[in-house]
Amino acid sequence: MSDVTLATTPLSEPVVHQTQVRVAHDPASLISMREIWKTYQMGTEAVHALHGVSFDVKKGEYIAIIGPSGSGKSTLMNLIGCLDTASQGEYWLNGKNVSEMDDDELARIRNQEVGFVFQTFNLLARATALHNVELPLIYGGVGSSQRHEMAKQALKAVDLLDRVTHRPNELSGGQRQRVAIARALVNHPSILLADEPTGALDTHTSMEIMDLFERLHEEGNTIIVVTHEHDIAARAHRILHIRDGLIERDEKVR
Amino acid sequence: MALMKLNASPESQETEQTDQRPRLGRLVLPKKLSSIRTVRLAALWEAFLVATSSLRSNKLRTSLTLVGIVVGVSAVIAVVTIIKGLDKTVASTFSSQGSTVFTISKNPQIIKSREEFVTFSKRKDVTHEDEQAIARLCSACWRVGVAANAIQTVKYADQKSENVRVRGVTPTTMFDIDGVTIDAGRIWTEGEASSSREVCVVGPDILKNVFADAPPDRAIGQEIRVGGRPYEIIGVLEPLGSIFGFSRDNVVYIPYASYQKAYGARNSIVVFIQVPTAEQLEAAEDQVRTIMRNRRGKTFNEDGDEGFALETQDVFLDLYGKATSNIYLVTIGVAAVSLVVGGIVVMNIMLVSVTERTKEIGIRKAIGARRKDILTQFLIEAVTVTAIGGAFGVLTGFGLAYVISALIGFPLLINVASAVMGVGVSSVVGIISGLWPAWRAAKLDPIEALRAE
Repeated sequence: MSDVTLATTPLSEPVVHQTQVRVAHDPASLISMREIWKTYQMGTEAVHALHGVSFDVKKGEYIAIIGPSGSGKSTLMNLIGCLDTASQGEYWLNGKNVSEMDDDELARIRNQEVGFVFQTFNLLARATALHNVELPLIYGGVGSSQRHEMAKQALKAVDLLDRVTHRPNELSGGQRQRVAIARALVNHPSILLADEPTGALDTHTSMEIMDLFERLHEEGNTIIVVTHEHDIAARAHRILHIRDGLIERDEKVR
Repeated sequence: MALMKLNASPESQETEQTDQRPRLGRLVLPKKLSSIRTVRLAALWEAFLVATSSLRSNKLRTSLTLVGIVVGVSAVIAVVTIIKGLDKTVASTFSSQGSTVFTISKNPQIIKSREEFVTFSKRKDVTHEDEQAIARLCSACWRVGVAANAIQTVKYADQKSENVRVRGVTPTTMFDIDGVTIDAGRIWTEGEASSSREVCVVGPDILKNVFADAPPDRAIGQEIRVGGRPYEIIGVLEPLGSIFGFSRDNVVYIPYASYQKAYGARNSIVVFIQVPTAEQLEAAEDQVRTIMRNRRGKTFNEDGDEGFALETQDVFLDLYGKATSNIYLVTIGVAAVSLVVGGIVVMNIMLVSVTERTKEIGIRKAIGARRKDILTQFLIEAVTVTAIGGAFGVLTGFGLAYVISALIGFPLLINVASAVMGVGVSSVVGIISGLWPAWRAAKLDPIEALRAE
């Protein structure tokens, strides 16, 4: 839990913050976080990974979240991706109040609204590229012929139509990440959420992947990249600097 | 550049309600309905594919997991199949004499206790006079006869056959009561019987054992020695076959008078009574019981020993039924134990499988698998293992029964219901033993699971 150790400095309890003036969520935003707290109970001690984070993301933005390890950026990414729920605060994603959802509703949001791209690709080793890309559609309840068609389109979008029947171990790192990106895109999610997407790739391949993100952004996708590398963050149009569980700086780049 | 248009345009996005946002992958059905029907089918099929591929990639582990289930199911299938086969043999054996025959004797065929033995030995012998009284007085009776048995050695020239059943019968309708028919030659005449002539009708085993399998015609007219006394063969019986490996054709029929001459008249006899149809059996039994009670000096409803035994072939069937039901019970016990052990093994392997595939579970959850999707996936995997085990068990069970039936010699009856039961019960074992591991998998935290190696 290295992410939270920095946040153990004695801070006021989140209860105190509830009395502060609260800005209602912006219905025009795709993502609207208000006073998000994430608190972990470590034995008898409450550890705050996020100290009341608030920000908005408009549709079509390309954002980088950057911060040193332990800053709370992984926690924030898990919250944005609906893998986790906040201890306190409101999170609206695409007009839905995610902060009050149960497990199955969150699974549905992850399936429909979020496309994950991970540092280590996280493909199913035994499945073909096509099947990996089809997986979100299977859980989304798409019929098989349509599923096939959509998965092929997604693979075409990342220029991997010639690798459809390959398994991950038959693909290069860059190709694997492109399969993962196709999987993230196949359900037409509201946001593409990438966690250190180039962390396991060499420089050249990293640049290719970042070029692909840029292209996808131009296509109208909303992209959030979580990274600790400044040159990766510099590709985004807006950078959120996270430190000690708070947004230290919200920087418009372009 | 043929890139997809991956999202609806910002303008339409903001004006539309989110749930109505057009999606390529959505069927135009009410949301609830479409998600229930299609999600389940697609996810179930996915779960099945994942299950079979994970079982294939762990062949040794899978087959070891199956052992318990296979043993349990094959034991049940083998025993059920064997007993069904024996049932058929027993039923056809007793139906040659059939449920239209009952007997009056001094002692029942089965004596259950020492006390009974003492009681029965005080009884008066059943005599020829009893038989004649029954034949004369019982209007519901069709055929009445007397039979007595002895075990003797049969010799012809230098050939000899031991443990042959010698059956002294009278009148010749006893052949009909016994359900045997003449294949060649003839039955003795009234005159031959009353003058206690040494004539005999032999079962086909006698031809096989002392006439080197000669045709029946060649044996007729020959003289054999039964227990040292000479008898002339005048007829040969049709074969009846064997039961439990014991031949029913190793028999020599002689007139009852000749039997008495050879073995004495002091022994109690057995009276055989046959009725035309099974429906009349009870009426005939009542009449005969009354006649015998009168002859033993018992009044109606008097307490104490009746003084004779009235039995049908049901006694054997009862005994047989008790024996087989005990075998069933023992087998069910064995099967239950091995299914429980098998279930625990499956549970253990499923827990290992869940731990091994924590990362995979994390990935699936991250891209939208719900708890019940993961739960079903692992349940299906457990059920697939045990159902395959059950199917193997059914096959080996039938195989075992086939070998045993070939060795002992009874018909093999492949029972579809027991095959379905075998697979069904093992599937239930799969559900039960898969439930806990599947539930553990389903409630894994996606973040923790993704962090696993």
